[in-house]
Amino acid sequence: MTEFLRTFATGSFDLLLRVFLIVVPIMVVLEVFEGTRSFRVVVRGWARVVRHVGLDERSAAPTLIGFLFGLAYGGGVIVRDVRRHDLGRRQVFIMSVFLSMVHAIVEDSLIFIALGASIMWVVVYRVLWAALVTLALTALAGVWVRRRRRKGSGDLEL
Amino acid sequence: MRESPRMTGPDDTPPGAPLPQPPAGFWPTVRRDLRLGVIAGLQTFWDLTKVMIPAYGVTLALQQLGVIGWLSTVARPLMTALGLPGDAAVPLVVGYLLNIYAAVGSMQALDLTPRQVTVLAIAILIGHNLVVEGAVLHKAGMNGFAFGALRIVAGLAAAVVANLLMGLV
Repeated sequence: MTEFLRTFATGSFDLLLRVFLIVVPIMVVLEVFEGTRSFRVVVRGWARVVRHVGLDERSAAPTLIGFLFGLAYGGGVIVRDVRRHDLGRRQVFIMSVFLSMVHAIVEDSLIFIALGASIMWVVVYRVLWAALVTLALTALAGVWVRRRRRKGSGDLEL
Repeated sequence: MRESPRMTGPDDTPPGAPLPQPPAGFWPTVRRDLRLGVIAGLQTFWDLTKVMIPAYGVTLALQQLGVIGWLSTVARPLMTALGLPGDAAVPLVVGYLLNIYAAVGSMQALDLTPRQVTVLAIAILIGHNLVVEGAVLHKAGMNGFAFGALRIVAGLAAAVVANLLMGLV
């Protein structure tokens, strides 16, 4: 038990330190650059890409952060944006599906490429798969929500 | 879907519309943004802490109780469908419950061909760290359990399809 507690304590500290060292700088950099022209250009460009899986321009920034740095950090930005300006549930759902299929594209992929996995499959195939799953699940969820709404439980929004 | 009232809130600028301008003055803007950034960062850090630490504790407990070993035995037959040796179930389950680094660590112990590494990598890259990351998704308002299941199923399916396609090429 003491062994367990010790592992839990050191592991938690490691985890929190890593999250802190990444989340706070991301948020500061995001806040400072969010208003600049170059950041808008990057987000606009990214928005044009993720438009194809049903994400709008306001979802582009959290999706980009998650795609590059990881689900926890992208999720953090999503939580922030949900709090700031009520992001629609439909957008949060699409982002969550897409990011749960592919995130931390550089770091995670590199680990496996170092082990000998093919970059083509680990990166290109995975992104295509993520887009496919996102489109399929969004369509499925749309059908489900419409059916629920017809039955009369009105307050569902997706 | 499109008629949802949430989609047309006051904050919902249509895509392509110009974004709001920051206040005049370079340094005042930067100072304000730095302050906002630190506040948002600390808030997010606290949000993540509240969900990640309990999730981490649960995961550690599962590991200590021998759940990983048991699940690996259960998942063994599944590995054949992926063209992998039965032992490959261990890194997969380790990845699901812990994280990518732990999975890679236990992959080192196996003797896999490059193709097998790629197939296993796809399954692990889609599904990993399910407890902690599921907790984050839960915080964002989604069902963390459903997303965990989705990542396992979709990851295995992606690996099966990749294995079949690689057989063709």
